[in-house]
Amino acid sequence: MPRDAALAWLGPAAAAARRALFVVAAASAIFALLLIVDGKDPLRAYRDTLVYVFANAYGFSELFVRMSPLLLTSVAVAAPGRLGLINVGGEGQLYMGGLFATAGALGFAHWPAAALIPLMTTLGFLGGALWALLPGLLRAAKLVNETISTLLLNYIAPLIVSYVIFGPWRSSESASYPESPAFVPAARLPSFGGTRVHLGLVYGLVCLLIYGFVFARTRWGLEMRAIGGNAEASLRLGVPVPAYIIVSMAVAGGVAGLAGMAEASAIQGRLVAQLSPGYGFMGFLVAWLAGGSALGILVMAALFAILSSVGDVLQITQGVPFSVINLLMAAILFIVLGERGAGARR
Amino acid sequence: MSEAFPIALASSAILSGTSLLYATLGELVGERAGIVNLGLEGLMLIGASSGFAGAALTGNPYLGVAAAALAGIAANGLFSYVVIARHANQLAAGLSLTFFGLGASALIGRPFVGALAPGLPRLGAFDLLVWLAAPLAVVLWIVLYRTRWGLMLRAAGESPAAAFAAGRRPERAQYQALAVAGALGAIGGAHLSLAVALTWDEGMTAGRGFIAIALVIFAGWNPLWAVIGALVFGGAESLELEFQARGVDISPFLMNMVPYLLTLLVLTFWGLRGRSAAPAGLGRGFFGVE
Amino acid sequence: MTRLRMLLMALLPLIAALPAAAAEKLIVGAIYVGSVNDYGYNRSMHDGLMAMKAAIPGVTVLEAENVPESAEAERVMEGMIQQGAKLIFATSFGHQQFAFNLAKKHPDVDFEHAGGWMQAPNFGNFFGATQAAWYPMGVAAGKMTKTNTLGFVAGVPIGYVIGNINAFALGARSVNPKVEVRVVATGSWSDKAKEAAATGALIDQGADVIAMHVDSPATVIQVAESRGVFSIGFQSLEARALAPKGWITGLGFTWGPFMTATAKSVIDGAFKPAMVREGLGEGMIAIAPFGPAVPEETRALVTAAADKVAKGFNPFTGPITDNEGVVRIKDGEAWGGDKMGNFDWYVEGVIGKAK
Repeated sequence: MPRDAALAWLGPAAAAARRALFVVAAASAIFALLLIVDGKDPLRAYRDTLVYVFANAYGFSELFVRMSPLLLTSVAVAAPGRLGLINVGGEGQLYMGGLFATAGALGFAHWPAAALIPLMTTLGFLGGALWALLPGLLRAAKLVNETISTLLLNYIAPLIVSYVIFGPWRSSESASYPESPAFVPAARLPSFGGTRVHLGLVYGLVCLLIYGFVFARTRWGLEMRAIGGNAEASLRLGVPVPAYIIVSMAVAGGVAGLAGMAEASAIQGRLVAQLSPGYGFMGFLVAWLAGGSALGILVMAALFAILSSVGDVLQITQGVPFSVINLLMAAILFIVLGERGAGARR
Repeated sequence: MSEAFPIALASSAILSGTSLLYATLGELVGERAGIVNLGLEGLMLIGASSGFAGAALTGNPYLGVAAAALAGIAANGLFSYVVIARHANQLAAGLSLTFFGLGASALIGRPFVGALAPGLPRLGAFDLLVWLAAPLAVVLWIVLYRTRWGLMLRAAGESPAAAFAAGRRPERAQYQALAVAGALGAIGGAHLSLAVALTWDEGMTAGRGFIAIALVIFAGWNPLWAVIGALVFGGAESLELEFQARGVDISPFLMNMVPYLLTLLVLTFWGLRGRSAAPAGLGRGFFGVE
Repeated sequence: MTRLRMLLMALLPLIAALPAAAAEKLIVGAIYVGSVNDYGYNRSMHDGLMAMKAAIPGVTVLEAENVPESAEAERVMEGMIQQGAKLIFATSFGHQQFAFNLAKKHPDVDFEHAGGWMQAPNFGNFFGATQAAWYPMGVAAGKMTKTNTLGFVAGVPIGYVIGNINAFALGARSVNPKVEVRVVATGSWSDKAKEAAATGALIDQGADVIAMHVDSPATVIQVAESRGVFSIGFQSLEARALAPKGWITGLGFTWGPFMTATAKSVIDGAFKPAMVREGLGEGMIAIAPFGPAVPEETRALVTAAADKVAKGFNPFTGPITDNEGVVRIKDGEAWGGDKMGNFDWYVEGVIGKAK
């Protein structure tokens, strides 16, 4: 039975992979044209990227560094998405997670890592969860649509972080440069080998696994999917819709908060004003491209990571501004958008 | 020549609010037709870079603004196609447009970083775009609420099915609305590069496109309130800087939060009253099942 | 993709690089936080690197613009190292931690960071000692102003920036005791729209001379010029092209000599990490030519003040009171170069709170 289930699951995954390959090829061709027009060498760029990403330990490890926050922020979108909720608040939830985790790192700096890291993880989850809880409550009470409220809260969270690092948590060691004091080593999320790949990757994979498992195999998942299909009918059948709305939003926010905690603790080593270059929104796109499937999220997150590497390579070897890689991203997205067609779910 | 505080604040708020207002009005028109466009930031960047490039190449800032408008219409045309003809998810399509704008503007603007282009000349206290902004809002209000085209547009936004049943073609109104939105969003960006900052730099809109999206909500999808909203949001930024120039010490971050908190409060209040000002068909499924 | 092909592809760049490596003395990498066409900080860094390249034949320079002060910076620098760079200039303050991480990882590569304080056997720090150099700028502003109000647009109000403002104010008040300096901070090293609004706010408050410390002076100067007030430039000497009428003078960084000397030391295998701070007269900072509106006697005053500073005059010699009446530097004391990052107060005559 398990083998059959695995094969049944692999079938659509293979089809999805084929389609993904086609889309990437088409977009790469369009982008190559653009590069040629700009006087650059696309073949060299793509070749250099493959070398950088697959034949180079640093490039390969950086893929995982880039994927880690994306796995978390995409689950933060995909999970409530199954209920028909739209969470575009990943950015804000990430920042609040980073903020709360920093509170732990600064306030309990004398604790050993074995206690401090779990504390910071819990706080990070809590921060993001609280930030998504408000929109969840407002939506459950039918007061404000969660798309709008999560979007608005996205603006406020980075402002709170900036306020804090320009004020009470301003680091005194760097001549008042606006950032928090550096985290003590015990507060740094451990990395693997000599690379920057950190425990946040494990957090991401675990959340992804839990997400996949809950929705495919548990009663909660079944009820949540029912809500997503038809909320009114589910309500009449006795499914506690408001409770699920609140909990799924809160948990989603918490997962995004973990991304904030990981970025602050593992990559930055402190709280900074620019904690996320848009991981929340990228997570939305990853979840959407993946159609909510856990394996799809893994694949799409990897794709985004590889695309960013193309940007790195272009910038370093051919002097193309990193921003231009957004065109390749956009090409892929628009092709997918164009071919999904009418009636496609989300 | 020290100006009185209210005057200084007003003129500063008006200057920084104008680009926001154009973008907001554009987004508002699109949303009234039922389409939410999260790609406004991308549109503004395309407008800022094309406008600056156009002005630098032709030596005429007004031609620059025209170039920006055309670029905005083209970019939003791409968005319109996938969203209307291919029924794509609007939020995803909007975010894709943002990425597109980030990349395209970097490419368009690259030869012009550090270049000097003629800025929009001041006619009296402000440049032409500022003077036209509030009248534009009034015109849009009239168009939306007093003309047949506006009625069709709003019908498309409230209930595309009903509009279709009545023999209208909601898609056409939506395409037209998004063309207007594209032009206005891009003009908003062009104002930044040709009147406010007098330069082009990658990412210079710094999130204003997203602020404009929030502004549409704050304004209750009404163009007249959008003018007030642009002053409030633009004013929050200016207020903070004018305070500093006067030696008053208030945290800029706390001040910048106020407009968003206000919006959230207002929305909650409306929700309690059982009223939703948004077009019923906005985002088609965007507003959930209630 | 077969293993063999992957291996070949991995080797190709190495093979391609071999003949080049023979003729090349050194590959130098530089990352900039903005664009080199900014008439400002990044331009000055780029000009310095080009001067270094011209001075030493066989040097190749890899440059990356718009590198954010984030984890991305580490990736870009690592990419340059993988292309063979043995000397990396990390030119923006926020690149420090990431350059330092790489220095630990690559002991065979030398790093120079601009404006920070971290040190390691292969990691050095350099910057211009700008504070005292702002004194003669203040003298110029104090003489040129008619409204006795000077405006200063600051990016991020860190200690060094506040020090610049203080020296500016001290210089201005030394020739014009009635002058006051108003400060507006945008909160970011580069936010053009905010800089434009900040400049406007200062002019609204009556300032008729505007100075600044942001990455690029371009927007501030252009707004000042369009509103008919004077400007004093900073970061790059080229900024004077932006204000044909209102330019008074300015400070610009001349990184060339230092970068050339550093590159030579790396080639010779004699790199010595140090905390280098050079002021006016020591090579890293220069004063820009005067604008057409500046009369002879003012030019003479400014030049005299600059000479004084170059010879060692320290404007931060006590007694100095802050703008709330508290004595901060006592009579007989002086704040030296090592304390320039510690400013969290403004001198008398500056309107604003340094927090």
